Amino acid sequence: MSNSAPNVVGAKHWTLGRIARITVMVVIAAAFILPIIGFIAMAFRSQEGVLAGTDGFLGLGGMSWDNVVFSWSQINGFGPGDGGLFTRWVGNSLVVAVIGGVLALVAALPAGYALARLRFRGRKVMLFATLLAMVMPNTVLVIPLFLEVNAIGAVGQLWPVAVIMGFFPFGTYLVYIHFMTTMPQELVEAARIDGLSEIATFFYVALPISKQVVALVAFFSFVANWTNFFLPLALLTSSQENKTISIGIQELIGASPLFNATVAAGLDVKLYMPQLALATFLSMIPLLIVFLTAQRFLIRGQTVGAVKG
Amino acid sequence: MWGFQILEAPTLCSHSQLIGEDYMSSSTLTTKGTEPPATGPRVSTTPRHHRTRHAESRGAWILLAPYLALFLVAAAIPIGYAFWIALQKAPTLVNPASGFGGIDSFITVITDYRFSGTFINIFSVMIVWLPLMMIGIVGLALLVHASPGRFGSTMRFFYFIPGALSGIANFVLWVYLLHPTQSPLAPLWQEVGFGSLKEIVTDSNMPMILTGMLFFQGVGTWIIVVNGGLNGIPDEIFEAAKIDGANAWDLAWHIKLPLIRPWIGYAALMNLAYGFQLFLEPYLLRQISSGAIAGEWAPTQLGYAFAFTNRNFPAAAALSIILLVITLSIGVVIVMKSGLFGDEKEKKR
Repeated sequence: MSNSAPNVVGAKHWTLGRIARITVMVVIAAAFILPIIGFIAMAFRSQEGVLAGTDGFLGLGGMSWDNVVFSWSQINGFGPGDGGLFTRWVGNSLVVAVIGGVLALVAALPAGYALARLRFRGRKVMLFATLLAMVMPNTVLVIPLFLEVNAIGAVGQLWPVAVIMGFFPFGTYLVYIHFMTTMPQELVEAARIDGLSEIATFFYVALPISKQVVALVAFFSFVANWTNFFLPLALLTSSQENKTISIGIQELIGASPLFNATVAAGLDVKLYMPQLALATFLSMIPLLIVFLTAQRFLIRGQTVGAVKG
Repeated sequence: MWGFQILEAPTLCSHSQLIGEDYMSSSTLTTKGTEPPATGPRVSTTPRHHRTRHAESRGAWILLAPYLALFLVAAAIPIGYAFWIALQKAPTLVNPASGFGGIDSFITVITDYRFSGTFINIFSVMIVWLPLMMIGIVGLALLVHASPGRFGSTMRFFYFIPGALSGIANFVLWVYLLHPTQSPLAPLWQEVGFGSLKEIVTDSNMPMILTGMLFFQGVGTWIIVVNGGLNGIPDEIFEAAKIDGANAWDLAWHIKLPLIRPWIGYAALMNLAYGFQLFLEPYLLRQISSGAIAGEWAPTQLGYAFAFTNRNFPAAAALSIILLVITLSIGVVIVMKSGLFGDEKEKKR
């Protein structure tokens, strides 16, 4: 790290406090990072290597592409007939996460703008409800949501999951803050004087300056949807074909001989730790892609947020 | 890979909370500036003004319509429906007809032999986890803030990485860490005398295991939130304190800590509310422990059992409402009292 480099403005000294601070921080960072490195390495190892214990530090010595190919054949072979459930589940996750994200955007953009820049009766109530829904843990609502979806007979189908995911109060809050900080009220007044309707002002004045927050809302809602567990568990468990990947991985765990020898004995595929690690690693890749795509906007979002100085 | 580019960003941003917080701090500080001077004509009663106000209000509701529709479908209606269901009688084999049952289902839930146990379980975790979590968040945020430059932001990024592995991915990672023979910690587990996963994942170890999982997954995000609060403190305050002879420790203890109290309160309450809705971790720990952990370990799991095992929907709804009341109350305190959402702007209106 750059701390020991000679400093032109005035050399810093390695005081006792400084050494202690840096040591504590580095040790904690190692405790956070090493397990993850070991876990990723696990995805590239073989069950034989794991059992033999000969793969060296964190198992890094036992990594090979052949192991990945074999593990993938096991993961992909899971399911009735020739398997293929894993890719099906990833596809389902993509469907609900993307539709949920699009709905979140369609709802959050106009709503956040209206809350930030328009005056109307009920505004405070809506804002309060949004904040409350935002800070409330979302699993509390899952059983009521299940009862609702059950009442219309749509349990086991993907569309209710996507629609429910579309309700994303944090997105509305982000848009609200975005217009609060980046769009002066004067701009709205000017548009009004020019004869634009409230709706037209949103489409022609507000929307063109919200690329930033579109990326933010899309990113956060996609991540939230992708990692959601309890909602798909309650709504989709009844349909093997329609599960999402988060609850799919739970099923892979349940089929592993590590935890359930009886179930695993009846399966053609063997899902040991390397296979479970690989399945988890693969299930994270869409999140990684979304992050890399949104990153440019996420950083610029910071500079916009930095007007506070 | 994804780290290196954001390391340069003034505040690392890849999670809801941190962006929210950053925007939040900037908003509370800037709204005063951008707010147009409160002028008189607002109270004017000329017909023309009435018309514009009316148009503005109508426009607002049209713009809110899609959000409102989703709000109804995904929050208001299910909550109302759960209330209604909770007041019904559960149909039984003897008497399959359901009907109005008053608060029977609430009594069923509260007198269930597992009910109090689930809350005791949650408290047994919170008593270990919350203090550690708060010390970890505040301590690490202060350490990061005391380390300007690349070292500090690199460390902050490292602390955040586990947070990216949320939910099931974090769980599988922990299965790997807890496994007594395949974990990098295996020598430690064997030293303590754990030979199988079943010996590690026991009721008495649950507080420690869940603390580990929740700390690992959550601390990084909250460090960034609290760090955002620290970054909002004007430098002049530190300069002044230094002139008065304050050292790094004095700065952290006497200046920074009192100033970030709203963020600490916010973090504590959000984590408290989070505790009541734990589901994934205990649910899956049961699965990997061959049933050593009760299937109804947490309140949410009990609700799940009422709904899916007993098919007693009124009881499931009643339990949801109990949890809803608890978490909503915490939520109201967060929104109204934390001082982070309270905008002076609102009061001026």
